[in-house]
Amino acid sequence: MGIAPAMIIGFLLLAAAGKLVIPAGLDAYLPVPEQNPITPEKVELGKKLFFDVRLSRDNTISCATCHDPKLGFTDGRPVGVGVAGRAGDRRVPRIVNRGYGKSFFWDGRAATLEEQVVQPIQNPKEMDLTLAEVASRTGLPIEQVQQALAGYVRTILSGDAPYDRYLGGDRDALTAEQRLGLRLFRGKAGCTSCHLGPNFTDERFHNTGIAGPRDEGRYAVTKSDRDRGAFKTPSLREAARTPPYMHDGSLKTIAAVIDFYDQGGKPHPALDPEIRELRLSAEEKAALAAFLRALNGTVRDGM
Amino acid sequence: MWPAIALLAVAAAGAPATRLVWSGPDVTLLGGPSRDGRYLSYVDPSRSLAVREIASGRSRVLAPAPAASGEFAYFSALSPDARRVAYAWFNEEGFYDLRVVDLDGGNQRVLYRNEEAGFVQPCAWSPDSKFILTLLFRTDNISQITLVPAAGGPPQVLRSLNWVYPKRMDLSPDGRFVVYDSFADESSGDRTIFLLSVDGARERRLVSLPGNHLFPLWTPDGKRIVYASDRSGTMDAYELAIENGEPRGQPRLLRRDLGRFLPLGITAAGDLYYGLRSGSVDVFTTTLAEPTRAARRVTLRFPGRNTAPAWSPDGAAIAYLSRRGSENFGQESRAIVIRRIDSEDERELLPKLAHLERLRWSPDGKTLLVSGSDNKGRGGLYLVDALTAAVQPLVAEAGAPFRGFDGAWSREGRTVFYIHSDSELRSREVEGGRESALYRDARLHHLAVSPDGKRLALGVGEKTVAVVPVAGGEPRLLAFDGLTELEWGRELLAGKGAELWRLPLDGQPAAKLAAPGNRETGFSLHPDGERIALTAGNARSEIWVLPLP
Repeated sequence: MGIAPAMIIGFLLLAAAGKLVIPAGLDAYLPVPEQNPITPEKVELGKKLFFDVRLSRDNTISCATCHDPKLGFTDGRPVGVGVAGRAGDRRVPRIVNRGYGKSFFWDGRAATLEEQVVQPIQNPKEMDLTLAEVASRTGLPIEQVQQALAGYVRTILSGDAPYDRYLGGDRDALTAEQRLGLRLFRGKAGCTSCHLGPNFTDERFHNTGIAGPRDEGRYAVTKSDRDRGAFKTPSLREAARTPPYMHDGSLKTIAAVIDFYDQGGKPHPALDPEIRELRLSAEEKAALAAFLRALNGTVRDGM
Repeated sequence: MWPAIALLAVAAAGAPATRLVWSGPDVTLLGGPSRDGRYLSYVDPSRSLAVREIASGRSRVLAPAPAASGEFAYFSALSPDARRVAYAWFNEEGFYDLRVVDLDGGNQRVLYRNEEAGFVQPCAWSPDSKFILTLLFRTDNISQITLVPAAGGPPQVLRSLNWVYPKRMDLSPDGRFVVYDSFADESSGDRTIFLLSVDGARERRLVSLPGNHLFPLWTPDGKRIVYASDRSGTMDAYELAIENGEPRGQPRLLRRDLGRFLPLGITAAGDLYYGLRSGSVDVFTTTLAEPTRAARRVTLRFPGRNTAPAWSPDGAAIAYLSRRGSENFGQESRAIVIRRIDSEDERELLPKLAHLERLRWSPDGKTLLVSGSDNKGRGGLYLVDALTAAVQPLVAEAGAPFRGFDGAWSREGRTVFYIHSDSELRSREVEGGRESALYRDARLHHLAVSPDGKRLALGVGEKTVAVVPVAGGEPRLLAFDGLTELEWGRELLAGKGAELWRLPLDGQPAAKLAAPGNRETGFSLHPDGERIALTAGNARSEIWVLPLP
């Protein structure tokens, strides 16, 4: 489902009845396709579908199985597990604030949320159902399923974290250690080269060296050599409480991630030039981890 | 104080006549007119916030910049009833906060202060004067379009933009829509105009034509926007009709070729006030002994737009910065040009950097050390290959000034010295990146290395130059008031505005040298110690009015 950029609208931030509430720290402007405006009814339907196991072959898996609200809308596993225990290829992405996204999946192969939401349903390693079967089981046209699921996912928002309150003017919202971590985050550690803005992502693709030979990342979409082994920068909101990390779930803790970048990633012919040795002290690493915890906020969904 | 000037410019048939309302050394383009057209807010030469009564030409200071404090006023916007001014203030902690003051200078207060939003630009007030449309430029190099409550409180963020900032934005008279300029897309260097509804409900690209479209303002009736565009090759004023947040019809030319103009505001009577930068600036070679007599312009191909000369180590070439593009407000588009003095060879380098501020040749003449910022807005120091223009970051940090750090090469070229965060003099190995701190003090600025490479000179505060041994030891402090540049050849030379001074290292008083009266910032000493490359010109700012039809 292609959506022309000119056809994008946003959504009201007002906290009035029936309106989506945008948490502190996020933009009031939330891009929404003009063809799929958010309505309470649509979001309610989308939420039901999100938790509906009928969308999987063996009626055991729903979207929420892997995107568990109790786990920050992810699953805590290195890679996703689908129907019949089939292991997926990549870490289940956190889907908070994806309404602000510019492309979807680790390799960005979906241009819109409407396009994205039906791919896991059809993936044999995930829910393994055809779209015709979805329509049959739900009694809904597939377009309505797409629109409702996408509409609901847009309402999954994380904000109002200590960092947001700090930016809003509450100087005590961050501890001294977290303030040091923030300075490192945008300074010596260079994290803001990729993790920036209200959602802490540039929505671009980078090779950190962690890619194994079997997963070519963004290259599979663009066939451009410079995209070999590159994956989309994930948001860091809620990251500190949703291990493991990286596209393959290979790093178990935030500390391991910081160590990985401190060492300059892993050697790779297409390593992003932004990745380089950082020489952080133990105190600085601890401060960075403390700052990342300040990005845990309030996660809300629905209307 | 300069008298008010009222000149009429010759207008083409059918085009509205423009008139000059203010010219002279005090003019800055950091404020705008009041809605009733009585006042113009601006920053005076003492860097204080001031308003000028347009009819009489009388000015008064509203927020004085304390002498020798480093604090100063910057962008400002008058409230709709012209009773208050919102303004940016560079504070004692080294970042900008948002303040407001009554027109009589009373009731000054800080509305928003956060070092993570290190730069603020008030652009417009809401019609009920309850909010100030303010651009925040955060230290992670995103800009945010926000509404800051005039009574204080957290800003309401409407829209965030990565690595780009609107050069101008404005709020519609009914308070429902913001217009702003930004890059047309991620791969484009051209700007275009966007409309954003204040309730966050939608965003529209208003202009889809080729070219650079920027500096949008609403007309007082809210039915049109006026903006600048270079689509025809000159900077022209256009208008576009808007109805209920949607463009109606095509943009219409208002006035062709206004020069490098910056729209400042539109009064209720429909007068578009705009700033104009005119005149030219060039790099010249001359001698220290007779700087005004023997001056020769360096450029052969790019006259009128050149600054920041740097002699090559062998004295055979000069590198300088040359402005590109049709407007130059905010970060300029600049190229590096290398001119060989003994021939007509003049090469242009276009390094992939967003801003270039200053150049210094490596001792082997192969690399230029460039102060500036990259395309992700990270300020710092960059190594630019003098043949290929390939860029390698040496120090690049989010949150650092877009002009980058002041840096200089060690004699052997293996180390670069630089001033970090205005408070620490550091050395950094070019290979390996190991750093060490050489000197710390408050408000460090301008750096030069002695020819033998054993000492560094740098400004400390407003009135002192410190000479620091590279190997360590006590610095020697020299008294010098108003330092604006430092270069070290056979002697240590200091710039102070247009003036050039010799700074004896033995504590003798500084001696003023002859210099062109129109010298601008930027000079470089030839290795022979006798020749000098300097910048001079007649660049000036003026304020004009274009009555809108």
